[in-house]
Amino acid sequence: MTPPPGSVEEARLLLASELEEAVREAAARGGLLPADVQGLRVRWLGKKQGVVTALLTRLRDVPKDEKAAFGAGVNALKQEAEERLARLEAEAEARAAAAAEAAKAVDVTLPPRAFPTGRLHPLTVVRRRIEASFRGLGYEVADGPEIESDWYNFESLNFAPDHPARDAVDTFFVKGGGEGRDALLLRTHTSPVQMRTMEGRKPPIRVLCPGRVYRKDDIDPRHSPVFHQMEGLVVDEGITFAHLRGTLAAFARSFFGGRAEVRLAPTFFPFVEPGVDCAVSCVFCDRKGCRICSYSGWIEIMGAGMVHPNVLANGGIDPERYTGFAFGMGIDRIAMLVYGIPDLRLLFENDLRFLDRTW
Amino acid sequence: MKLRLEWLGSYLPGPLPGTDELGTRLTKAGFIVEGVEGNGPGACLEVEMTANRPDGMNHRGLAREASAALGRPFADPGPGRLAEGGRPAAELATVTIEEPSLCSRYSARVIEGIEVRPASAAVRERLEALGMNPISAPVDATNHVLWDIGQPLHAFDLDSLAKGPDGKPAIVVRRARAGERLVTLDGVERTLTPDHLVIADAVRPVALAGVMGGLETAISERTTRVLLESAHFDPGVVRRTARAMGLHTDASHRFERGTDPAATVDGLERAAALIVADCGGTVARGVIDVVAREVPRPRVRLRHARLEAFLGMPIPLPRCVEILRALQFEVTEAGPGVLEVIPPTWRVDVGLEVDLIEEVVRIVGYDELPEVLPHAFNPTWTEPTLAREERARDVLSGAGFVETCTYSFVSSEENAPFAGGAPGTPAEVANPLGEPFTTMRATPVIGLLAAARHNARRGQPDLLLFEVGRSYGMAGTAPRESRRATLLLHGRRQVHWSVEPRPVDFHDGSGAVAALFAGLGAPAPAFRPAAFPFLSPGRSARVVSSNGEDAGWVGVLAATVAARYDLTEAVVADVDLARIDVVPPPTTLEAPSRFPGSDVDLTVTHRLSLPWSDLVSAATAGAPPELLGVDARYLYRGPGVPDGFVKTTLTLRFGSAERSLSREEVNGWRDEAARRLLALPESRVDGF
Repeated sequence: MTPPPGSVEEARLLLASELEEAVREAAARGGLLPADVQGLRVRWLGKKQGVVTALLTRLRDVPKDEKAAFGAGVNALKQEAEERLARLEAEAEARAAAAAEAAKAVDVTLPPRAFPTGRLHPLTVVRRRIEASFRGLGYEVADGPEIESDWYNFESLNFAPDHPARDAVDTFFVKGGGEGRDALLLRTHTSPVQMRTMEGRKPPIRVLCPGRVYRKDDIDPRHSPVFHQMEGLVVDEGITFAHLRGTLAAFARSFFGGRAEVRLAPTFFPFVEPGVDCAVSCVFCDRKGCRICSYSGWIEIMGAGMVHPNVLANGGIDPERYTGFAFGMGIDRIAMLVYGIPDLRLLFENDLRFLDRTW
Repeated sequence: MKLRLEWLGSYLPGPLPGTDELGTRLTKAGFIVEGVEGNGPGACLEVEMTANRPDGMNHRGLAREASAALGRPFADPGPGRLAEGGRPAAELATVTIEEPSLCSRYSARVIEGIEVRPASAAVRERLEALGMNPISAPVDATNHVLWDIGQPLHAFDLDSLAKGPDGKPAIVVRRARAGERLVTLDGVERTLTPDHLVIADAVRPVALAGVMGGLETAISERTTRVLLESAHFDPGVVRRTARAMGLHTDASHRFERGTDPAATVDGLERAAALIVADCGGTVARGVIDVVAREVPRPRVRLRHARLEAFLGMPIPLPRCVEILRALQFEVTEAGPGVLEVIPPTWRVDVGLEVDLIEEVVRIVGYDELPEVLPHAFNPTWTEPTLAREERARDVLSGAGFVETCTYSFVSSEENAPFAGGAPGTPAEVANPLGEPFTTMRATPVIGLLAAARHNARRGQPDLLLFEVGRSYGMAGTAPRESRRATLLLHGRRQVHWSVEPRPVDFHDGSGAVAALFAGLGAPAPAFRPAAFPFLSPGRSARVVSSNGEDAGWVGVLAATVAARYDLTEAVVADVDLARIDVVPPPTTLEAPSRFPGSDVDLTVTHRLSLPWSDLVSAATAGAPPELLGVDARYLYRGPGVPDGFVKTTLTLRFGSAERSLSREEVNGWRDEAARRLLALPESRVDGF
């Protein structure tokens, strides 16, 4: 250590050179640490052997007329030392804090710890989207049994016992039911819920009937003995065929996007008259023709029609006073469409690699 | 159904319509043209025929529709005048209808002296184009007429028919007698019952009416005399007979849907003309035409105001009349704005005013309808059971479970272990696709197990799956359906590089069930030890709602069942959504207490067999309302704890909304709780 300085001026120069030297010397190891600065503080400002204290003890040797100036000089030196050391201390503490933080660093690119993120099945997602479109139009959502009677599934819906239209719907029967209209079966459509709704209340009626339905089809990429339907029923005074068209068009635009159009064509279902096949303009090719729409520009999405007077009457509703419309679509088919799912079986296989997609 | 362009054109005077335009217009009118095969006059249209329009299932009928849809004339050249000769037909055979309600009319002609030869090239070409194999001129003639005007015919070898008492070959339309037999044209011997309508000769059935002829009386190479049948049968009886026999023929297809009762003679004339043209012979004079009853023709009123109100668009009355007349409806004005309409005999589907409205609007085109929304009415609402299902899906997917969708059918073998868990007896499908689709599942867990197997086999054994779906059963003759939330946990949890993964266990399952209750806004359920044949004993519980109702089960799947699905230990749960005691949402929400609470611990050493729920009961019984809850903090077994015992640390949470609690009162309550715990059999409390 250098000998104690002889004068305040000398001490000031020494302070500057010592601190600068200390900083320079520490640079190689990342800079001064708080302990280093503490050592410097003891040397310069220590109560017992600090340089400043030592200078002060020499005050008594200073001639009387110089005492004031000497004292002021030492005080100025002390203040300077305080300021310089405080600065170094702050820097050293910041450096130490940064080093402590740095020691906690992790590899942020590692796989994150998983929080539970379940998934809804695509059929649930699509069903909810369809429901949302119709809720906006004021529809309620109704529910009913899957094991139904022949009456609710067929006869009340204008399928006479020997009606050839029954050929189009291969039906599973359930053991233990009655005969004829009391026979038990697995509902082939959710239309029985429409009939139950009509029986249970007076118009106005505006309901959606989502649910699981059954047809005796062998499993293949386009068929499943279990699938899902969404039907709708509106009954009130003054309901018109134009309302049906308007409703289907509003749904198509809400579900498939603002440019979608609907095309209606006559067809036959026993429970409606007139019957309607509803196609929506292909949103994948903008009607130019693509594989999805079989190059027709149109995709058939549902059946519909004006509720047959016999069906209204079976539901206890006066067909002269009230009119109504109904529509029905396959949720599975629409899910295949909107997600480009090539094979219906994927919806029932429950492979995580399929279900884990972000729906 | 295939139909040939030139054949349709034979009823549309003028140049043949283009297939594009014809296809578009027919589709708009309700006959969906799905495709066109070939080109030129021989092009064939593939047309989807709806069950209500049997009249369109032939060339003349579809040409009628085409004429209305295209707005061009229709003309039926008719069968032409048939040259008759020889004896009167009535002297050569007799026809009797014993069942007028099942056969309104039976018309027959006799042709003598034919030589069975192939049909003309023109007839054969047409039939081949529709996918049929020509057989012989008489048979082909009947098929030609079926495809021409929709009237199914049958040709008998007259000499093979047994004669009646009058010495003439007899035709009798009657119900079969029980046990009568008939070998049909397909060579199958069939046993008949009175449910079946047959054509019989004097002694035996010779044809299934409207379905298929008999082999013994069919036309053969040696046939020289033919009796042609052209009848109108009841759709129901033909359908029942065909179905009972497992038969479906071009004829039954039409009779089942309804044929034109007025077309029987027209059909005879056309077939007879073709036969004599190809096979020679003489058409016996006259038609044997037995009309058992008149088929009533409906008169339907059409109110023009109703039509416009129903459709929501204006269609001028003259346009309505024009359309109906183009479709050959007889239209008269019954009053101002009211039409009286008689549909043509072939339109078996029209009987109501709304049917006429459909006729008008389908020819106008559905494209013309305006797009209008009904006025707004009832506020939207969801059936509470469905709302609960939806909430359960959200809660479980939010808790990390993946939703599955599985078949409602399972095999009876898969169902058996779980059958006791479902209401009633298993619901069985009477006509299943075969195993594994015979039984309606007792629980959706069965589907989850299959889904777990599927994934585990594909290297994805760590699973949290759920399905919100139904279970099914029968209570006597009444079906029972119950809405369930079901869970499956399998493999490891906390699979991450940062921690040691652990296998799923019972408590993960009960935790998920508790989360479901909490998510639905129900008080926490209790888990009571219970044995189920499909769950591991000691690791299975009944889920009990706070109101005491049995709400389902949770547990580790029994090893025998797990092995069947190639699974290691799986935790499964099935909760009856209807039994979750959802309480109404609170009408006020209290602010949390501003006064700090106080937690104290008690460590109890007790027998393993003493359930946690007993510790909680002891700790809480008689405790002041300031005791807010009891949690299990730590369980220890090992050195210092005797075999068969466990050391459980309970945390008692005390607090008050009104005041700060003093250390003394909290300690006092703790000591009371400790004394109650000490009173439990064979228990010790540290420090007491």
